[in-house]
Amino acid sequence: MIMVRAIVRPEKSAAVMQALLDAGYPAVTKMDVAGRGKQRGLKVGNVTYDELPKEMLMSVVHESDKELLLKAVMEAARTGEKGAFGDGKIFVSPVSEVYTISTGAMESGARP
Amino acid sequence: MKEVLAVIRMNKINPTKQALVDAGFPAFTAAKVMGRGSRPVDFELRKALTDDSAPAPEALASLAQGPRLIAKRMLSMVVPNEAVASVVKTLIAANQTGNPGDGKIFVLPVDDVARVRTGETGAKAIDEMTGR
Repeated sequence: MIMVRAIVRPEKSAAVMQALLDAGYPAVTKMDVAGRGKQRGLKVGNVTYDELPKEMLMSVVHESDKELLLKAVMEAARTGEKGAFGDGKIFVSPVSEVYTISTGAMESGARP
Repeated sequence: MKEVLAVIRMNKINPTKQALVDAGFPAFTAAKVMGRGSRPVDFELRKALTDDSAPAPEALASLAQGPRLIAKRMLSMVVPNEAVASVVKTLIAANQTGNPGDGKIFVLPVDDVARVRTGETGAKAIDEMTGR
């Protein structure tokens, strides 16, 4: 299993959640975060916004679903055709074990 | 060492904290998160169906919308490899009601840990998480 953490624009978060649902990945955890990227925040006139609000979407899926999931997130989170700075990042990391609390059972790698 | 990431019910946070302290794993980081699971829940529909009255129009309208997000608590703790099974057992025992929505536990590999106060790294930095 892998954990996919996508940091997206707050206004795009609903679209990404819907895209994930349509792609068949309903299970998502969402949290508000603040951060900056390689543009070092945002400069509007004299005002510098060092930390920009973003939303982090976290989903744990089977390795074989990685490409589909990333495609769904990227297409939904991108601004316009070409995308823009600040559209976000997606991080993929390994997960060793997954448990469902209600049954107490360890999930196998297979899709439910 | 491993990071144990648990997404649990909001109202289970206090029993979980107590259970973890009793089991000898006092340290954790918690966050309020929103989420949905593999089984979509339609609250309006569920309420309408459990009521005796006919389904309300707003319940029918909500059928067209995506599943709503549910408020959850996310706990993160980093423990030595040999303690993972014990932590998972404690978390399941404290949070299991047997109904869908109890949450998930993820175990992720962690390369290294450092304690900021002393600069210790590795197993020494998480020496409080050894269990009883």
